[in-house]
This record gives sequence, structure tokens and C-alpha cells, in this order.
Amino acid sequence: MAEYWGVKVGDIFNTMPERFREEGARDVDASFGYDIAGEGKWKITVKGGTLKVEKIDDLSGCASIMLCDGETFVGVNTGKVDSVNAFTSGKVKVEGDFGAFGKTAKMFKKFVIGRKEMSTKDYILDMFGSLVSRFQPQNAKDLNATITYQIGGEGGGVWTATIKDGTCELKEGHVEKPTVRLEVNEASDWVDVMLGKTDPFSLLSAGRAAIAGETALALKLGEIFAKYQPPSSTDGEPEQELIVLKKTIAVNQRFATGPVMGRFLNALKEKKIFGTKCPTCGRIQLPAREVCADCRVRADEWVEVGPKGQVRYMEYVYYASPDPLTGETRETPYGMLNILLDGCGGNDTFAHLVRRDQLDLIKGGHYEISGTRVRPVWSDKRVGSIFDIKYFEIDE
Amino acid sequence: MGKRVAICAVAQIKNEGDLWHARFQNMLLECFESVMQQTGVTFDMEKGIRNVVTCSDDVFDARTISNNGMTDVVGAHLRGEEKMAQESLNGLGYAMASILSGHDDAILFMGHMKESQGESRRMVSNLSFDPFYCRPLGLDNMNMNALQARAYGQRSGVQEEHLARIVVRSRKNAKKNPYARENEEIDEAKVMSSPLLADPLRELHYYPITDWAFGMLLCCEERAKEFSKNPVWITGFANCMDSYFPGDREYVSNFSLKKASERAYKMAGIKDPKKDIQIFELCDHAAYQLPMWAEGIGIVDEGKGGAWVDKGGMDKFHVNLSGGMLNGNPFLLGGAARAIECFYQLRGEAGDRQVDGVKKALAHGTYGAAGQHQAVVIMEA
Repeated sequence: MAEYWGVKVGDIFNTMPERFREEGARDVDASFGYDIAGEGKWKITVKGGTLKVEKIDDLSGCASIMLCDGETFVGVNTGKVDSVNAFTSGKVKVEGDFGAFGKTAKMFKKFVIGRKEMSTKDYILDMFGSLVSRFQPQNAKDLNATITYQIGGEGGGVWTATIKDGTCELKEGHVEKPTVRLEVNEASDWVDVMLGKTDPFSLLSAGRAAIAGETALALKLGEIFAKYQPPSSTDGEPEQELIVLKKTIAVNQRFATGPVMGRFLNALKEKKIFGTKCPTCGRIQLPAREVCADCRVRADEWVEVGPKGQVRYMEYVYYASPDPLTGETRETPYGMLNILLDGCGGNDTFAHLVRRDQLDLIKGGHYEISGTRVRPVWSDKRVGSIFDIKYFEIDE
Repeated sequence: MGKRVAICAVAQIKNEGDLWHARFQNMLLECFESVMQQTGVTFDMEKGIRNVVTCSDDVFDARTISNNGMTDVVGAHLRGEEKMAQESLNGLGYAMASILSGHDDAILFMGHMKESQGESRRMVSNLSFDPFYCRPLGLDNMNMNALQARAYGQRSGVQEEHLARIVVRSRKNAKKNPYARENEEIDEAKVMSSPLLADPLRELHYYPITDWAFGMLLCCEERAKEFSKNPVWITGFANCMDSYFPGDREYVSNFSLKKASERAYKMAGIKDPKKDIQIFELCDHAAYQLPMWAEGIGIVDEGKGGAWVDKGGMDKFHVNLSGGMLNGNPFLLGGAARAIECFYQLRGEAGDRQVDGVKKALAHGTYGAAGQHQAVVIMEA
């Protein structure tokens, strides 16, 4: 008895009792026949939630009989062959009550391929068995071509893929004048290429493979067909759930503001904006800070600036950063500004938000050109925070 | 022994329980100005400081890459600035390596920490554990210390009375240290009746929450005299990291401290620390660690910590005359505080704590849970 993907036709029938799902067979009271070409005939009888499986030549009394070859039967049962394709292509035929036959699909758990080393032949079968499902029509637009794979050595064979109007069909055997023909002397070499263990160019340069016809098309095969994925050792078993853990890290903090930051925030309560002026270079930093970073001296002269100014930089934000204090996402779009407040110079700008309905009216400036004039809109309740200013609006 | 690296100046603010009136920038600025004033060093790209090493903790500062908030006040604007997110003694080692490599002549080394700022120091140390296996169990440094304290007590004969003596002595010594955190004077009975945090750890066995900042100027041997008449020399440094997962470690083996001190001794040419070194400053987060680390650096025979305390070993070997970590330094900065105390002793500037004829001193720093990571610096006059 032949093996396909390491599975014999008999394995499918022999495991039916353990794969039988009573709940899927509750309303079924019938016998079903299977005529597997070259393998034999089987009859299963379902009645009152019980199952009987017989290898028997007499299939009389069956509601339906399935006819196909061994490879297709194993392929459909193991998920290696698409069952709908198998029907529509005529590889599977059903005699009798087709509706009744459809119920058999619900009666069994999926057959699981046992863990075993795959042979070269297994790989070759799996590679060509999955070729159509790996076809990428978006990468084969306007492509009409026939591609023949001529694989020699043990496990080899000849297959031809026909690509036309965004579809792909695979047949065994040669066709006349294929667009391109790949010839590989040893099937095991082709398996290595498909598994990424060897690159095709070294095979070509070693004379172990050849391309006839349109070489350019052969080079595009990697795009036309998705990469072959060998069945994993857990193939057929339910995938392990990959757990995602959600954690929030939070440690409450109590920030001292110190004499400089504290004075700056206190001034905001009085609707005033203060910067600290460097005694050496004269720059005014906003928000006020302890030192002039450039001159490395304490900047302890306080200068009131603004509150009006001109926009230096602006942006539109479409994807909001969540508010760090509330976790809430801001309404978008919103605009952020860097404002050169009156009295400040150079790069010493102050960052804030812009009134949302004025987003489109704001123009940034630079050293030569003044940006839009803006003024702060103060919060009614001011507590000594950056949001004592709600936002800046156009100063008209 | 190779070239030496000089510590030309140190600066610090007083250790405080809650510096509510200053943010860390204010704390650092004082230290920065003091180092500048003591040494006259500049930020000239040829002759001055090209690189600043800082030490801080992201969670305590509540900002990722928390050194971003300090570059201005440590003079690091428009030049190299590198953060040591590790026990501060490693920053000293890192600065030393930068100088010995020839990459830098002078390094400004600054550090700060405000333990008072976070709601819970234990929540912060909980975050240092594996987020999936250890954090949910409630593991934090205090748990780990209690596990270690119990095991160490059994092995070394360190009992409740020894721990009380260590705490009382720490506070007494700290009274002579003008930069030490000001703590209430206590007696042994008070220590032994203080609340149990995690048996056998009592509240007074544990270092108190502290805010502090420091600065140092390190320099290559050739140029040290430009910045100081009497520099102190770093002649040995080594550190060692033990396993992260608590289950992978033997808690009382002192594995990483033995490795770190052996390598630091080798670098500094020290044959017998008991004879060659006059001052030992150990990073004792909890009272039991003082004799335990003393075993680790090889001045107490293994498992004899209890007897050593009984025989007055702490005073005989001049261990933690500053008051030690136990009196109060922030967790990250215990090692720098130890090195600064060694600096004073080696320069003869330790005031009422001064020991005569100090030639060599050992500063120790530890980080990670229960001494996972250990660092040792050998300093010489």
C-alpha cells in the first residue's frame, strides 16, 4: 500500500473510530462507501451515534460512494489537497446521494500526520501539491506562461504549471513548447533549493540544473509563488496559543519644582510668562531654567516675555500621542507650535498647542519672515501647569 | 600595575530624607559649581572636559533616559555625555577606563537620586525583577535581602544583637560626618524593637530613604596637578555580575564580590587587604550586609562575621567610619558616597573621622538584588 505524505489510505480508515465525533453524527443513519483506485474498498456505517468501519468489496446499500485515487484521498483527508478543487477537477467523484455524503465531513476530527522524517519524495509531492495554493496572482498580472518542472532522480517527476489570466493550474507531465523549462537532475537538490539550503544559481553553475526558454521568467518564480513552507512537526495539531501579557507599570511620583521651575509655573497662574536671561550671552530660555547651557553659568535674571509672539514652527498631528496624565487620546488633527514670544530671540521658542479651528490659518516663520501672530488663551482655573495656557490663537 | 587615574576633586550635597524644595537639577548644580571652583577645569575641547559621565535611575526620575534632564546643569551641552544606569561606583570605573584608554584626559562624573520622589522605593525595586515570573510574586530588594539575611545569619552566627550594634554604630559614626543624613540617635533596644519588615529584617536594619547628589573630576596622571595639588589615585577597579534570576544564585556565597575584589586587588597590587588597606567603605543597604561584605572582600574569614563584630572588627579595620549606606545614601549612589569618604580619608580631610596614616582605601558598591552586582575600587593617597 502506497504512502502519501507519509500516510497510507488504510491509516485514514483505521483511525476513524478514534476520530469519530458523536455530536457530528447525531442525525445520521446511513452507510457510505469508498472506492479508492488501486487500494481497495471500504464501507462505514453510522447509526444511533455509533460507527462501524469495514474493508469490504460489496458496497451495496451505501447512500453514497466516493471514488478517487489514493493520493487524492489521503491529500483531502490530511488537508494537503484542497477538497473543493479535487471535486471540481473530477479527481473525486461521488455516486449516489451527494447531500448525505457531505455529512461525513462533520463526523470526523481531522487526521493528524504523525511525526516522521519526510523523504525526498514526500517533499516533492508536498511542494507540487501546494504549488497552486502558493500562487500569487498579484505578482503574475498579464502573465501567460507555462512552466515545466522536470525533476530527475528518486522522487522526481514532471509537472507543468499553466498561468493564465491570473490563475494557475498544475498538471503532471510535459506540454509542447513551455515558456520555460527547469531541469533539475536530482530531486534532492530541488528539495534543498525549496527549503533554502541551496541557492539555485550554484546548482546551475555546477551543471546540476538547467533552464530552457525564458530565463527571465525562471528568475521571477520566487515572486510568482510564495515560499514553500514544509509541514511542521506539529502539523495538524492545534497551534499553541501564543499568550500576550498586558502589564501597566506605574509608580506614583511627587516632583519637586525647585526655585526656578516653581517660579515659572507660579507666574503662569498670574497670566505671565517669564524666561531666565543668561548674564553672559543674553539669551532668554523658555521655560525658565537654572543655567544657560551654552555658557555654563547660572541664568538668574528673570525677564517677562510675550505673552504674544509669532509662530516659528508648526505641525499637524494626525496620530495623537496619548495624554501621559490621563491615558486619553487627543482629538485629531491638532497642531503644535513653537512660538517666538515677544522679547525672545534666536531659537529660544516656546512650545504649545494651537486653537484647533485655526489650524489651516497658521503659517510658520523663520529668521527673515515673521510667522502668524498668536496670543495665549488662558485657562479660567490656573494651577501652575503648562495647561494654564489652553492654547494659542491668532492675534487679530 | 599600569597607569593611575587621579580624582582631583569631589563635591556633594548633604544627604537628606526629603529635599522637597529642590529638583535634581538644583542638587547637581551645586556639586557642579563646586567641582569647577575647586579645580578651575574648563570645557575647552582641547584642554578641558570633553566628556561627562552621569549616573541616575530612570524610574526614580520618572523619565526614560533620565540623563536628558541633567545635561545643562552638568555642563554637558554640546559634548559627550554618557549615562551609567548602574551602581555609581561603576561610573567611576567607566570614567577611569575612558582616561586609561587615552580617549579623554579629564572626565566630570556626576550623579543624583531622589528616593523621596517615588511613592514607594519597593515598587521601584520590584520593577527591576523579571516582569512575568518574579514581579507578580512581589519580589523586591527587601524580600531578597531578607532571604539573604536569614541564610547569612545561619551561616555566620550574625544574630539580632549584632545587627543592632551595627545600626547603632552607623548612626554614631554618621554624627561625625557633616554630609551624612541626620538621623535620630538610637540604642540597641530600639533597633531590636523596631517593626519587622521581612523577618529577620527590621525597619532600623534598613537604610532610610535619602536624596543626594555628587560630582567628581577625574583626570589622567600626567595632567592631575593642573587641577589639584594633592589628587587621590584610583589604582584598582573591578566589578562582577552574578545571575539575574534569584533561583540561579547561592545567596551567601559572596560569589560576585569575591570575584570583583580579587580582580581589583590584583590590579592595585594588593597582596593582603587586611594589612595593605587602612579604610574600608562598604555598601551596607541592610545591617547584615556589613559583616557579609567584609567576608566577601576578604577581611573576615568566611562564616565568621558574627565573631568579627563581637571582637570589634568594624572599628579595628576602620569599616564605614562615614556611617555607611545604612545611615542613608540613595540606593544607586552608595558606591560614590563610599569613594568620596575614601577620598577625604586619603587626603586627611575627614575631620573627626580621620584615621592617621591612611595610604590605601577600598570603596565598595553593590546593585541588583541582594548583592547580585558588585564593584570594588582601590584608592591611594
